[in-house]
Amino acid sequence: MLIQQFKPAWRDGYYRAQVEAVRNLSSDMLEVILKPEKAWPSHIAGQHIALTIEVNGRLTTRVFTVACGASFHRETKNIRLITKVNNEGALTPYLSSVTPNTWVNISAPKGNFTLPNTDKPVLMVAGGSGITPFIAMLEDANENKLIHRAPVHLLYFAKPNEHVLQSELLALQKRANNFTFAVLTRQKDGDVKDYLSHFADAHWLVCGPKAMYEQVREVAKLVRATLDSEHFAALPTVNIGSLSEKETFSLMHNGQHLSVNNQKSLLSQLQEAKQPVTYGCGMGICHQCQCVKKRGVVRDTRTGELSDSAEQLIQLCVSQAVTDLEIQL
Amino acid sequence: MNTRVLINTEERQQAPSKTDARLQQATTPPQSVSKPDYDMLETQLDAIKSEVKDKIGAEDAAYIRRIILIQRICEWSGRILLMLGFLQPLLWVAGVLSLAAAKILDNMEIGHNVMHGQYDWMNDSHINSKRYEWDIACDGASWNRVHNYEHHTYTNIIGKDRDFGYGLLRLSNDFRWRVKNLWQFATYILLSVMFQWGVSYHEMAAERVFFGKKKDSRKNQVTHSELKKRFFSKGARQLVKDYVLFPLLAGPLFLWVLSGNLIANLLRNLWTSTIIFCGHFTGDVETFKAEDCKNETRGQWYYRQALGSSNIKGGNLFHVLTGHLSFQVEHHLFPDIPARRYREMAPKVQAVFKQHGMHYNTGSFWKQYASVLKRIVRYSFP
Repeated sequence: MLIQQFKPAWRDGYYRAQVEAVRNLSSDMLEVILKPEKAWPSHIAGQHIALTIEVNGRLTTRVFTVACGASFHRETKNIRLITKVNNEGALTPYLSSVTPNTWVNISAPKGNFTLPNTDKPVLMVAGGSGITPFIAMLEDANENKLIHRAPVHLLYFAKPNEHVLQSELLALQKRANNFTFAVLTRQKDGDVKDYLSHFADAHWLVCGPKAMYEQVREVAKLVRATLDSEHFAALPTVNIGSLSEKETFSLMHNGQHLSVNNQKSLLSQLQEAKQPVTYGCGMGICHQCQCVKKRGVVRDTRTGELSDSAEQLIQLCVSQAVTDLEIQL
Repeated sequence: MNTRVLINTEERQQAPSKTDARLQQATTPPQSVSKPDYDMLETQLDAIKSEVKDKIGAEDAAYIRRIILIQRICEWSGRILLMLGFLQPLLWVAGVLSLAAAKILDNMEIGHNVMHGQYDWMNDSHINSKRYEWDIACDGASWNRVHNYEHHTYTNIIGKDRDFGYGLLRLSNDFRWRVKNLWQFATYILLSVMFQWGVSYHEMAAERVFFGKKKDSRKNQVTHSELKKRFFSKGARQLVKDYVLFPLLAGPLFLWVLSGNLIANLLRNLWTSTIIFCGHFTGDVETFKAEDCKNETRGQWYYRQALGSSNIKGGNLFHVLTGHLSFQVEHHLFPDIPARRYREMAPKVQAVFKQHGMHYNTGSFWKQYASVLKRIVRYSFP
């Protein structure tokens, strides 16, 4: 706490970054420029970071793709995040009110969704804010003359008038003679599948909503294309109406899998499965059964409140699964 | 700093029935006069809780961070001032007081409350019940088991809540009188002086790790060897820190620092012990039998918490230094609500109690303390 007086937002296990600017790209897309501290290990284009900011006293974490190349970071010492604002979300609605110079926490870059080292042509398929890793990859590829080795084509799907960064894409296209892109809407320009079959011999990269990813994967199987992907499955949707119906989810804890339902507390189901678990009162008072939930949503049996989907502490005795979960006992 | 929170205005009117209750308590196991509507009590107290819960946010996060900062400043200025005693002994006195205040803040407003999970919602990896370790001889995890689980779940149920008299003092007729109870006042003084070690040894005493008959009925979640290891390692760390490391660092000022640390620890022990006794062992606090509490509802649990604790009136600084355990009633009803919120909850809780004809036990520090001492002396005799 003393250190935090001199280094705001200093936290063990996190890197610090200072907010340089926040601006709207469109009605619901936001661009955030961060200046990470010097110790931050730079990213490879396509990788993501976890961003932690304090929302009403609560440290809230979400994962974002770094929407710029490593070259941009080298030159400006800044990185850029681009996100869609989800008004019901725990973090993104607050991002627009973060003022410049605020200190936030970021993680080291993670993930292996990067531009493949291949001589084959590359097909990029982006859905909505899934454009961000491709922007980063193209920026660096252009810099490293990779694009000149094999042609790169980008299919950019989004809702009408919600395509962002088109000027940047145009600039990239101008600089690199073998990069092309098409701006498409799924409803108007037909099915994703229609576009894909022409690219059977390319290396496919897809980033977008799960439904779109599944369509692409199907076609990739048919035409035997190589496929790398990153899809937004991180945010599970909870069907509130079905909470009363019995449903089963998978629970991963310390590397083991267990199937749990949404009717009984996690504690009683872990005990039934004879898992080693510390517990106490069984009614949410003593915090003995508390553990770290890595991901997933739980429901508080006392209030019916749903938890956040990111990492947080939960009490097993008053928590029920409402999505697949991963916990650390 | 002068905002005073006045809680009780009804006290005088209730005085006669209190004396009756006390007389009754001395002869028969305590029975409260009227039983409230438990379901209604549950709904009302839950409503108070959820109302405050909605307000918890940035303000509370800033508060606990500020208290931690003040605690760190007190601790380090205290340790430095101790060494300046050779210039001017008054500086040493200031150092002792500053260090004692730091230890009290750490143990009560920060340690106790953070380890209750009051600030777990912040998701801060430094300020949560799993991670926080306090400046006291007691291992945090051991305290968590005995205090958070046994004491807060089975509050004042004889045989289940070992905090009732700590297995050392006879504080009600639920326990058979033994000759050793004759000098239990001296035992109490000794316990207060050594309080951090009492707290530290507490779980092991009940588990009969070193002495006494082993009780087979107890289900152990932690092995005895683990308990011993944690007890000695945490205890040793505290001893080395206060009586070896810091004195040695002071070089020729060894004795100034050693004695300063000793007195700061003593002050902290006396303060924490006194506040905790005032919260639990005043004359009117009731006890319960295990068989009465089987399958109890949340409302009944609230009721038992309410009658098992007592509050102390005081000013702002007093409340902070007690870790808001001066609101022991509210703390027992809502153990994981950030303690500074007990102040605004207290008047509402008191109104609910009044409606149900339940006694809201509060009084000035000296009144409550006198009541504790009286209780210790009273049960020294058969």
